[in-house]
Amino acid sequence: MSGASEAREVRVGAAGRAPSRRRRSPALVTGCVLVGFVVLVALVSLVWLPYAPDDTTGTRLAAPGGAHPLGTDKLGRDLLTQLMTGAWIALRAGLGATALGGVLGVCAGLAAGFATRWLDDTLSTLLDVLIAFPTLLLAMLMVAARSASLGSAVLAIGLAMTAVVARLTRVLVKRVLAQDYITAARTSGTSWPRIVTGHVLPNIWPTLVVNLALQFGLAVMAEASLSFLGLGAPPPNASWGRMLQEAQATVFTAPTGVIAPGVLLVMLVVGVNLVADGLRDTLDPTRRRTR
Amino acid sequence: MRTKSVPLLGGALLVSLSLALTACGSGSGGGSKDASGSSGSYDKNATIGIGSLYEPQNLDNTGGGGQGVTEALNGNVYEGLFRLTDTGKVENLLAKDYKVGPDGLTYTFTLRKGVKFHSGKTLTSADVKYSIEKVMAEDSQSARKSSFDVVKSIATPDADTVEVTLSAKSISFVYNLSYIWIINADAKNLKTSEDGTGPYRLDKWTRGSALSLARFPGYWGTPATNQKVVFHYYKDATALNNALITNAVDVVTSEQSPDALDQFENNPNYKVNDGNSTTKLLLAFNDRVKPFNDVKVRKAVTSAIDNKKLLQSVWGDHGTLIGSMVPPTDPWYEDLTKVNPYDVALAKKELAEAGYAKGFGFTLDTPNYDPHPTAATFIKSELAKVGIDVKINIITPDEWYTKVYKNHDFSATLQEHVNDRDIVWYGNPDFYWGYDNKQVTAWVKQAEESDTTERQTALLKKVNTKIAEDAASDWLYLYPQIVVAGSKLSGYPLNGLNSQFYAYGIKKG
Repeated sequence: MSGASEAREVRVGAAGRAPSRRRRSPALVTGCVLVGFVVLVALVSLVWLPYAPDDTTGTRLAAPGGAHPLGTDKLGRDLLTQLMTGAWIALRAGLGATALGGVLGVCAGLAAGFATRWLDDTLSTLLDVLIAFPTLLLAMLMVAARSASLGSAVLAIGLAMTAVVARLTRVLVKRVLAQDYITAARTSGTSWPRIVTGHVLPNIWPTLVVNLALQFGLAVMAEASLSFLGLGAPPPNASWGRMLQEAQATVFTAPTGVIAPGVLLVMLVVGVNLVADGLRDTLDPTRRRTR
Repeated sequence: MRTKSVPLLGGALLVSLSLALTACGSGSGGGSKDASGSSGSYDKNATIGIGSLYEPQNLDNTGGGGQGVTEALNGNVYEGLFRLTDTGKVENLLAKDYKVGPDGLTYTFTLRKGVKFHSGKTLTSADVKYSIEKVMAEDSQSARKSSFDVVKSIATPDADTVEVTLSAKSISFVYNLSYIWIINADAKNLKTSEDGTGPYRLDKWTRGSALSLARFPGYWGTPATNQKVVFHYYKDATALNNALITNAVDVVTSEQSPDALDQFENNPNYKVNDGNSTTKLLLAFNDRVKPFNDVKVRKAVTSAIDNKKLLQSVWGDHGTLIGSMVPPTDPWYEDLTKVNPYDVALAKKELAEAGYAKGFGFTLDTPNYDPHPTAATFIKSELAKVGIDVKINIITPDEWYTKVYKNHDFSATLQEHVNDRDIVWYGNPDFYWGYDNKQVTAWVKQAEESDTTERQTALLKKVNTKIAEDAASDWLYLYPQIVVAGSKLSGYPLNGLNSQFYAYGIKKG
């Protein structure tokens, strides 16, 4: 039974490795730069845009340069403007779905982790069913019930994410609860809420944060896919997925329309994945020790 | 305690770019002379590959098979008593001739002799009666069903004669008969098989990919100029064009985007044909409900939208503005684009007169496939300039059918109307757009009961002008009909009227 001592050793080790040995992970730095860029674009779009989003005064499929740095789309709308508003939509979708999936998922996971066997089995089965349910199918059901909107898309992605996060949380909670120090805490009369806040959450949050960062990237991709299929934010909202869909037919005549949103989408998703990678390196002491 | 290692960087993110970057093959081999139009030498045993986006749902034209059924089977596998040619003329086909009684209510058709179904059975009047009744039946989903409400009775005095009695005069009756397939009355399983009299019989239908037709050796008329026709079905226009570039198909029934045309226009191996279409894009108001029950509001909205710019956006330099429901190929066409001209100041004035000086808001039910979302986006931006706030509600074709078409639960919607001669719907107050003008209804009825086409034409011209003046709907534009084919191909239809595609005259040489 070395679990407790090992865990304690790890925690002490983590604390003992104070500032001097903290190295910046290159993945984290690169990821932060990529994500930071997209966040900056999104924030700027809130206060300033080159054109009004529904301004159709440009010529059809104008080439990049001059009055339109990235050119225009079929309707003569400025692509840069759409790309910037699209950044805000992508971030909102990612954050919204991750917040929903994170809160619901962690709560459900904790409940399952602490529950009696019967309740745990029921919850696990439910989660497995939810995981087996394709996100796109879930989104179509949502759209059928609520009509296509960014809200419906975020709800569908968030619910699908809930299952993944809940299952991970449940496993992590179970593992912590099996430790000797939990038994010690319980025998010494510590209340369940205190065990959760004092022992469980501090031990599982690094893994959860890394996982949520990854889920954020997947949520951004999912929103783009849904919008590509016409199930996400309705027109005239410039979701990157819809921009890709609209530019599909003109890929050979006006390639910027596909390349620009594609590149930004890749930047954001690669960025958050690198951040997740970097966070794992920084937060996970066992990994850091092996470096 | 070891924390779980998390796998990073899933492959999902590459999807966004890869969808568009499909590789293109080179054009067809050289050495082809310009054979278009020349009927000199051609390969009588050729197989013609036809690329299309419209796969039939089933093979029965009264069973909701969709426009793909008409495209593949009409005139090719099944024939009517009459044929609507690619230029819109009605010719005798299985009917050798016909007589109309003095009251204008009795039609006597004499059938062509020696016509055999693909199963070998000889065509008789019983088959014709069965076929007309099949379209009129309770469970028929034919779009033409209501055109045959005037049929009172069908008699078959002998094997070669059919007598139809109408309850009211119907000058379009013969034209409408060109939509009725003559089917063997004993045929079974018409959703997956066929028994028609056309120049081709069904060879094989591979669901989701292709439908092939083979020349029918026992055909009564001029045999097809090719041995086999294969309709290849694609899900999107880009895949369709790639198929043409790589010679997977010889001809594309109708191009859906102008931007892919460059690669064919500058290539001697292909010919781009601009034909006449009957497909109109409508901004259809619900004329029953506020604020669109007010003519002024409808006129204002119509004048506030720059249709020319919209057409240019969607179709580049192709397509036509019509200003009403009637395309130039219909006999009662008139240029009405000036009735509600694009004029923002006029639109504002009309809105103010209607009591909406500050504008209003409405929901636009928009089918989720192109070009509707693009058009909706454009309309929203245009109407914002006169203070009208448009909420775009994206719906599926099924939802459209239930919500808009059946339940009339909408303010305004976008929809393509494919058929020719469909102005008559404005005479039906129960139609989904609810245009209710007693005078127009009477004109449409009188036109149908006219004795001469001149009178019919004159009356429908009046209808056309009236609905334009009332801005019953906003007829945004008429689609172009662009057929792209390999330059070795000739004899293919150019107009695709009502989405027909006669393949029996296509020559490859």
